[in-house]
Amino acid sequence: MDTILQGLLDMAGVNAAVLFDGSGRLLAHRGKSVYDRALCEQVGGPLARAIDSLQLQHDDWESATAQFADGTLLLRRVDTASAGPCVLALVADSTLNPAFATVAIRVSSNKLKRALDGGGASSSVGSTGQASALGSLPSYPAAAPAGPGGSQVGHPAAASRPVLASSGLSWSRTGGGGVTAADQPSANYLTACARELARHVGPMSKIFVEEAVRRVCPDLPFSLAASRALADELAARIDDEDDRQAFLVALKKSGGK
Amino acid sequence: MTDLETVANIAGVSAAVLGDLEGTFLGAVRTGDGETIAAEMGFVGSSFLDIGALLGLGTLGSFSLSGRARSCLLVVRPQSLITALISPPQSLGPVERAIDTAFQEWT
Repeated sequence: MDTILQGLLDMAGVNAAVLFDGSGRLLAHRGKSVYDRALCEQVGGPLARAIDSLQLQHDDWESATAQFADGTLLLRRVDTASAGPCVLALVADSTLNPAFATVAIRVSSNKLKRALDGGGASSSVGSTGQASALGSLPSYPAAAPAGPGGSQVGHPAAASRPVLASSGLSWSRTGGGGVTAADQPSANYLTACARELARHVGPMSKIFVEEAVRRVCPDLPFSLAASRALADELAARIDDEDDRQAFLVALKKSGGK
Repeated sequence: MTDLETVANIAGVSAAVLGDLEGTFLGAVRTGDGETIAAEMGFVGSSFLDIGALLGLGTLGSFSLSGRARSCLLVVRPQSLITALISPPQSLGPVERAIDTAFQEWT
C-alpha cells in the first residue's frame, strides 16, 4: 500500500496521502514535511464523525472535496471486504491539478481495494473486519455476529445463520461492535428511526438509535417485534410533546408496530 | 433575490437549504427536509473546519460530495451555510462554477 500512496504523493501539489478505516483509524500514510503520521492520525476522528453524519442523507457517497483557503482535501471511499469501508484522503495545496488528482485518486483507490482484499495487506489493517463508521457496503448487505465481543463482520462469507441485514448503523466507535438487524424490513426501520429522529435532535440521531437498540435488544439482532419499544426509547429523547407524537406517527408509517 | 434563492435557481440544483455552523435551520427551497439537512451540514461544516485547522489548510470555503444518485455542495458564507442538492450528480461541476460566479457578484 505504501507504493500506491507514494505514487499519489509524487503528484504535484500533494502533501499527504492517507488511508483511514471506518472508525477513523490510520491504516497507511505517506506525507511530506509536517504531514507526519501523528498529525494525520488526529484527523481520523473528526473525519469519521463527519462522514457518519453525511451518511444520514448520502449513504451512496463515492467522493468528496473540501476546498480551503490554503489547500484542498480530497476524499475517496474505498469499499473493501477485508477492512470494511475505508477512506483515501489526499491533502493538497493550491498547485494541485484537480483533474489529474481526480483520476489518480480513483485509480489508486481501486489498487488499494485490491491490495486490501488480496490479503497481502491484512496484517497492516489489523483484525478489524468489522462494519464501520464510514458506511455499509452496498454489495455485501449481510452481516453476522463474529464473536463474544459482538463485533460484526461485513463479508458475505460471514453471513451464515441467521441471515442478518446490515442496518447501515454499525458504528464501531460507539462502543463494542455495531447494530445488526434480523432482516431487511428491520434494517429499513432503523434507518427510518435515525432519519426521523434527526429532525428533532440533529446528527447524533444514529448514535441514539444504536444505543437504544442495544437497550431493547441487548443480545439479539433488532427485529420489528421490538419496534414499539425502540420507538418509545427514542421518543424520550424529544422534549416537545407534539414533536414526540409526530415522531411516533412517522415511525408507524415506516413499518413500526 | 436572496442567496438561497439564487442558489436554488441554478440549473441542476434540485433543492437548497440555508443554515449555519451551529446546525440552525434558516430556510429551504424545494425540500421538506431542511431541518435535517441543516443540522447534518452544520455538523459536517464545523467538522471540516476543525480538520482544515489541524492540517493547516485555513478556512473552509466549500465542501462537495458526489454519489451515485445525487451530489451535494456546501458553500460556506460569512454568517451562514448554503447546501445545494444536485441532481443528476454529473451537474456538480457546472453548479460549482455557477455558484462561484454568483459569489463574485455577491462580493
